[in-house]
Amino acid sequence: MKSLSQLSVLLACGSAAGRALRSSALLSVAGCSLLVITPLHAGIAENASRQKVAGIDVVALKTGVRDVVTIRGDLPAGDSRSPDTNSALADLAAGMLDKGTTKNDKFAISKQLGDVGANVSFGTNSAALNISAKCLRADLPLVLGLIAEQLRTPAFSPEEFAKLKKQLVGNIRRAMEDVDSRSDIAFNNAVFPLGHTNRRPATAQFLADVDKATLDEVKAFYQQYYGPAAMKLVIVGDVDPDAARGEVGKAFAGWTGGSPAPKAAKAGTVDAARDQNVFMAGKASVSVLWGQATQLRYGDPDGLALRIGTTALGSGFTGRLMANVRDKEGLTYGIYSAVTNDTYADGDWRIGAQFAPELLEKGLSSTRRQLAAWHKNGITEAELASNKGKYVGSYKLGLATTGGMADAILNTMNRDLPLSFIDEFGPRINSLTLAQVNGAIEKHLDPAKMILIKAGTVPGAMPVPAPRG
Amino acid sequence: MMKRSFALLACFVSVAALAAAPASVPGFSHVKSLGGFDEYRLESNGLSVLLKSDRTAPVVTFMVTYRVGSRNEVTGSTGATHLLEHLMFKGGPNFNDAKGNSVKQFLEGIGGNYNATTWLDRTNYYAEVGSEHLEGYLAIEADRMHNLWIREDDRRPEMTVVRNEFEQGENDPQQALDKEIFAAAFQAHPYHHSTIGWRSDIEQVPIEKLRAFYDTFYWPDNATVSVIGDFDPAAALGLVKKYYGGYPKAPQPIPTVYTEEPEQTGPRCVLVQRAGELGVVGVSYKSCAGSHADYPALRVLANILGSGKTSRFYRALTDKNLTTQVTTDAGFFHDPALFQVYAYLAPGITHEQVEKIVNEEAARVRTVGVTDAEVATAIGKITASVAYARDGSFAIASTLNEDIAAGDWTLYVTLPDAFRKVTATDVKRVAGLYLDPNKSTTGWFEPVVAPAAK
Repeated sequence: MKSLSQLSVLLACGSAAGRALRSSALLSVAGCSLLVITPLHAGIAENASRQKVAGIDVVALKTGVRDVVTIRGDLPAGDSRSPDTNSALADLAAGMLDKGTTKNDKFAISKQLGDVGANVSFGTNSAALNISAKCLRADLPLVLGLIAEQLRTPAFSPEEFAKLKKQLVGNIRRAMEDVDSRSDIAFNNAVFPLGHTNRRPATAQFLADVDKATLDEVKAFYQQYYGPAAMKLVIVGDVDPDAARGEVGKAFAGWTGGSPAPKAAKAGTVDAARDQNVFMAGKASVSVLWGQATQLRYGDPDGLALRIGTTALGSGFTGRLMANVRDKEGLTYGIYSAVTNDTYADGDWRIGAQFAPELLEKGLSSTRRQLAAWHKNGITEAELASNKGKYVGSYKLGLATTGGMADAILNTMNRDLPLSFIDEFGPRINSLTLAQVNGAIEKHLDPAKMILIKAGTVPGAMPVPAPRG
Repeated sequence: MMKRSFALLACFVSVAALAAAPASVPGFSHVKSLGGFDEYRLESNGLSVLLKSDRTAPVVTFMVTYRVGSRNEVTGSTGATHLLEHLMFKGGPNFNDAKGNSVKQFLEGIGGNYNATTWLDRTNYYAEVGSEHLEGYLAIEADRMHNLWIREDDRRPEMTVVRNEFEQGENDPQQALDKEIFAAAFQAHPYHHSTIGWRSDIEQVPIEKLRAFYDTFYWPDNATVSVIGDFDPAAALGLVKKYYGGYPKAPQPIPTVYTEEPEQTGPRCVLVQRAGELGVVGVSYKSCAGSHADYPALRVLANILGSGKTSRFYRALTDKNLTTQVTTDAGFFHDPALFQVYAYLAPGITHEQVEKIVNEEAARVRTVGVTDAEVATAIGKITASVAYARDGSFAIASTLNEDIAAGDWTLYVTLPDAFRKVTATDVKRVAGLYLDPNKSTTGWFEPVVAPAAK
């Protein structure tokens, strides 16, 4: 019950822990989102109505799916908005949203949603508060109303705040058991400087900040950053767009505030290659991340060219990394390359893999050979042609789900691109030349200045004390 | 509100059920039609075919489900079903990497979403593609049912690939605990071992055993092909006949699993001590098969205990900062499996504290039962989740795959109605029957302190 995503990022999914954990697949994959849709040839920009409603940038799109509606949204109140004095305020503010409002406690809200089988969740990434919901068509007014109620009138109960702090510490401590989580945070901190939109707080600092945060600080953060200004909401599925906008207007009427995200400085590159070990005892497989900052956003002129080149290196089973490091040499279960984190700001380029400790050096050597040859010689005309098909086909299949479509629309908005970009995606990819792709690889990447993170029981590495919350 | 939503869903199901009459194609017998699906049998070799045409988007999912999983393995060949699934991507004389037409090359060239998975009761291979590519994929998928290369030169590097998959699972405390709970709960039945298998078997299973496995189970009469999405039924049957029709039935009867788990006569416990951060308590009870009449009530019970903030475990544990999360799973398999509870301990909380509350809550549903309101909420959640899981060809295929594995594809159609009929009385009855401490296996994951800094 898993599948390979567009960027070959390994994702786990499954409705029940036991079921998901006992199945084995050729490769872990995604495939959890809702399927079926608007005919792929239909103009999405033409059919998706985009309007300001109660100050919110709203897109509503009716698709061919029956009865199901997916909602995605965000507003710029992510981790990077937390002040220097406390890195945890954005997460704590988001965490208070589903802990009750001034009208209903959390159990009453949960019951209202549960009775109709609807889901509403809030979370944060480095840039934004993320809103995600799913419901049946008839329940859209109820769900929009509850989203608005939770965003507008959180109760900020001291008792719930105390519980949330403990939950957050528990979740962070549990994530510290995971080699991929540990390599990811180390890679992030090595690639993005302090103050960059994508920079995440270091784990030890974050745990200390959760501990010292006060409810008044969280309320002040909420007052400063929450509101319709720069908020986006996407509603996709079995909806009447006019009616959906009407419900948004009713639910959010009179809400004010919010703060557009400032433009952040771009990440720099390092002067020379750097290795960093994150030692974790008793791990049977080591997580590796290898890469650098790109200084590119998704919509920059070389953005798509670099993506196609990266797809040829490390997407799917026919990419060079899987074909060689896995299929020919048997050194890993999964290895990929990807351009990531470039939606809100300039992002990063990375190779990700896991290796058994005793095969780590062999795996890294094999990967280094593939990376060097790819960077030096670029990709071939044949690879360009086949990867155009792979990339465009995969993008279109992603749109064949309400979740995939809603994500694509929201990402396009956050990338400051027009919705017509979605319709033009295929022609844009197909118009790329070999010179553009190989030129982008050479211009924006330098294997001699990449950062290599190894997390797990790395042979020869020294244990370090883990942060405690 | 709830009744209105469910009525709408039921209406769509009915409309689908009334759709087109089954196709009539020589060589196929129509078995039955239900809930928008038409079942056929390819008469020449017994291949089962399920079709569900939905032309709202130009996308189709084709899937073949083999009725073989890790339950068909024995000591020495654990993990063989899964290793063979990996070798199914190595090609054969007709489709391979050297020719440039392997299944990977074909599907990635068209941007298809594809993969294969192995589980306790089944193995499936699938691709979701633009509908114009159905024949191209079907031809390759059918070919590897009969013409696969199974070579030692492929096994050796693939073994280390699978071993790394095993190692990645070993990194996860909950997965490590789950393996030990199943191994303790099942002494005779092959659910004893996990699908990935034991490390030594993964490393040493000889190629001859994998060949024997393929020769025993990969036959048309041990498989179901499902076609869901944008296609013409008669044309699809024609393609199935064109590419699968030349294969014979299995020369020998497909072996059945006749081992039954003996009755458990007392609680069992396991302890897993490894490096880690926080503890986990898992409590599992012997439950029923997915096709059993008690399954719907058990699923409702699992929902009441562990789904969302209104659930009993959330209120009793997570909301009190004793756990970071509690999950429940009724277990949906071909044979009686486990009803599972996993409680993830919050920092500073002991296993004893959490296990005691899990057991008290289990005792409360056994003796006092649940309320009508709890049952209504659980049915609401399950019914909506069923609707969400039917949104599109790939999602439908994924659910259908598990129903085929459980032994009856019509569960896809009948289970939603069965969920809606569950009452509080039913839930109390199954809680009393299955949440039996004497048929439980409790496991602790206990993190050990990592070596001190040097």
